[in-house]
Amino acid sequence: MGQPDHSLAALRPLNEGELVEWEEAYVAVEAYLGALRIRNRLLVAELVRGILWRASARHAQEPGVSVRSLAMDETLKEIAEWTKQVLAEPLQQGRLAARGRLALLLTDMPGQWQSVFLTPEPWPPAFVEAMRKSYLSAGPQFAALTMTPRPLELNAIGSGAAQWWETMDRRPVVRKMFFFFLIVLIVAGLWFIFGPDIKLPR
Amino acid sequence: MDSPSPHADSGPPTGAKPYTSLFTAGVRRTIFFGLVFTINLVAGIWLFDLYDRLGLHKAHGLILGLFLLLNGLLTLGTMHAFIGVWDFIRGRRRAICITDLAKSQTGPLTQKHVVVMPVYNEDIVKVCGRVEAIYRSIEAAGQLDAFDFYILSDTTDLNCWVEEEVAWTNMCRRLDGFGKIYYRRRRKNENRKAGNIGDFVRNWGGHYEAMVVLDADSLMDGGDIVKLARTMELYPRLGILQTPPKLIRGGSVFTRMQQFAMRLYGPLFIRGLNYWQLNSGSYWGHNAIIRVRPFSEFCELPALPGREPFGGRILSHDFVEAALMVREGWEVWLAWDIVGTYEEAPPTLVDHLKRDRRWCQGNLQHMWLVFARKFPLPSRVHLFMGIMAYLGSPLWFLFLLFGTYVAWDRHKSGLSDLPVVSRFVEWLDKLATWVSQWPSLQPVSTELRHLRDLALKMAPNDQALILMGLVVVMLFLPKILALIGAVLHGPTRRSFGGAIPLILGVFMEMVLSMFMAPAIMIAHTFMILGMVMGASVSWGNQTRETDGTGWGEAVSVHGPAFIAGVAWTALALWIGPSFALWMSPILIGMLLSIPMSVLTSRVRYGQALKSKKLFSIPEEISPPEIMTLADQAQAAVDAALTAKAPGREGVIAAVVDPYVNGVHVSLLDASDPDEDHAELAEKMLKEGAAALKKDELANILYHGPSVLAMHRAVWSRPFDALHSSWGKAVESYRIRTEPDAV
Repeated sequence: MGQPDHSLAALRPLNEGELVEWEEAYVAVEAYLGALRIRNRLLVAELVRGILWRASARHAQEPGVSVRSLAMDETLKEIAEWTKQVLAEPLQQGRLAARGRLALLLTDMPGQWQSVFLTPEPWPPAFVEAMRKSYLSAGPQFAALTMTPRPLELNAIGSGAAQWWETMDRRPVVRKMFFFFLIVLIVAGLWFIFGPDIKLPR
Repeated sequence: MDSPSPHADSGPPTGAKPYTSLFTAGVRRTIFFGLVFTINLVAGIWLFDLYDRLGLHKAHGLILGLFLLLNGLLTLGTMHAFIGVWDFIRGRRRAICITDLAKSQTGPLTQKHVVVMPVYNEDIVKVCGRVEAIYRSIEAAGQLDAFDFYILSDTTDLNCWVEEEVAWTNMCRRLDGFGKIYYRRRRKNENRKAGNIGDFVRNWGGHYEAMVVLDADSLMDGGDIVKLARTMELYPRLGILQTPPKLIRGGSVFTRMQQFAMRLYGPLFIRGLNYWQLNSGSYWGHNAIIRVRPFSEFCELPALPGREPFGGRILSHDFVEAALMVREGWEVWLAWDIVGTYEEAPPTLVDHLKRDRRWCQGNLQHMWLVFARKFPLPSRVHLFMGIMAYLGSPLWFLFLLFGTYVAWDRHKSGLSDLPVVSRFVEWLDKLATWVSQWPSLQPVSTELRHLRDLALKMAPNDQALILMGLVVVMLFLPKILALIGAVLHGPTRRSFGGAIPLILGVFMEMVLSMFMAPAIMIAHTFMILGMVMGASVSWGNQTRETDGTGWGEAVSVHGPAFIAGVAWTALALWIGPSFALWMSPILIGMLLSIPMSVLTSRVRYGQALKSKKLFSIPEEISPPEIMTLADQAQAAVDAALTAKAPGREGVIAAVVDPYVNGVHVSLLDASDPDEDHAELAEKMLKEGAAALKKDELANILYHGPSVLAMHRAVWSRPFDALHSSWGKAVESYRIRTEPDAV
């Protein structure tokens, strides 16, 4: 963690291009802290300064890596490490980092504990307790019941219709023939009803 | 008529006696269906006699058959209201009510229950508002410990998915509901809502005695939920307890009219329904409590013979689930006295018809189940009523078509309508003679002869008018009775805004619904024709709010009704003015279907009516506490955690926002990084989320390591190495997020 008494003198002197690079890194880290809803400008400035100090130290070792990338790497790493310490949990594939971020939210870090964020131990016990309780529960233990569909038992009419229906589904020719027959039947019926000789003897 | 005896191994606990005796149920059902049958028979004889006097036509056989079926349905509906009125008059104490068991019961619930809310691409903020209200209401009833809550998502829109996760997290934060309110999204939404509930039962059902099943637009009072749960606990034979939800929050004229009608007339029909169905009731898919174990054991839906639309997966599951439950000896009741149960309706006629398309297919599939073995008769009646709710439309259409043909044919042939001696008169004469054999029945015989003399003088037009009068009475009298009851009862009258708004509202509702009915009839007819042609329905989400139907959409939906109306009107006028007059309610409805659909969809007209207290309902004039709670609920909205901020909505937020990313990844199963996902992630970073196919995007959003890696990448890489959407999203955080900003 960057300490307040560390000066950024190690960065200097910077040429114009380097200044732009560090400016971009500053903006990225500041935006990320903004994304974490840390609103106090003084805190944000202090945190950014500390993170950039660490990034500058790494930049000396890794000159090929962009400053912004180093700064954001430091930011994410620092938050993850700090969360790990607060939660007293090991990191697993970065998932804890995600859950840690979530714990910060659930603890209402942006509202109540901004001043504690990324500070070294000791932390207020209430904060630590709240963080540790804030693991997200995605669901309770499974309690399985079986739901197996029972076959539909149709009576004689239903079974006959089902057999015929499935046959039509399997054989489109049969279906076409059936519909053709049905249409003929309807036309014949209509002709019988509406055709000539409309009066029935009383 | 009653359900079979419960089996010792699979039915409800042995020893628990049915809530109503077989004898009582038998008497009530005989009275109810006896009345329906008798009225229908009399009307059928009357119509046959009329045709007979006019001269029988071959088409009359068809018309008479259709009339018996359609009038039977009308009589069935009307008798529900009449019997309901009678049940009301007899009073609360003499009515059969299963939840009376829970009356004056206090103390904590002894079993664990669950409230489940299935969602499908809904406005999750409103859904969570309803969940929060129910949560708080149960908490106020002092029974929160006995309940868990599940939001069961089948959402297919990936942005909605992320919004759901965020809204749920915010709600849990506010209510301190982690470990009490759960969220689950299904990766594949097989078998729609029934599959969603089934999946829940399979995975978590074992924790709970009973589940309160809601719809995304459902709202229920906590006290009433507790009462339902208590009834479940007290009556071990109870499988399903359905409540009668009321429509609320109507904005457009159409919805307001619907909610007014349902609120005013509904209780009569509900009481009438309970009169005969008793322990063999039905389930309407939501706002009901279901015992989980028998549901899991018996209610997994079987596949129907053949393919959709008529076969395959059952689209409308609720009636079938109730029938399966009753078949196994479990009782299904309607809790008609539960008042704190609400839902919302589609806002326009077009949306109503879209929903009907789904229900139509689902209900017509039930034809198979009418022929299922072991289903008790009441269950078959429910299934049949559901089928006829849609099949009735093409039958009405045919009835009117045949009637028109006969009128046209008579007009063409030049036959007069001269009365001849009625067979009815002959029958009356014979009956009077037969009755006169018994001296004690002489007065009856005299009355019959008097009736015969009246009938002898009757012209066919009078006879037709009497029949028409009977139909009109059956259509409108339940409404008039409900109106009279409401006007005479002070508290009810005031709750609807007073006598004048009530009377005007009923009048407007009758006129509007009469003119809308033909458009619905034509639309249903086309739906069924489409199904016959093999078109199956897809699962669309329900529109719950809109500013109204556009004219173009109305023309496309109601165009067939309008064209049919023009042609039919021309034909009717050609046949004769009196026939056109007889047909006018239908023809005017068809001709006005387009403007009617558009104008009734407008919220501003609905608000104008509201300002005059027209179509007002008690829940609008004096909102119940649960509605106020839902209005106040803001649990799902928080500036500190949002997936709706401009430039970083939904999927973008899941990658960029540290908290949304945290929520999303935390809800995923643990998985290892792999190359396939890495490639997709890289593509998404470079070309944007839109470059991925939907299944690819879903795939990567389900992969925790990829979502984490993308989070790191969008914050670390130079903007020119990323798609512009990521840069914009990152940049958006440079604007300070104020605590109250949303």
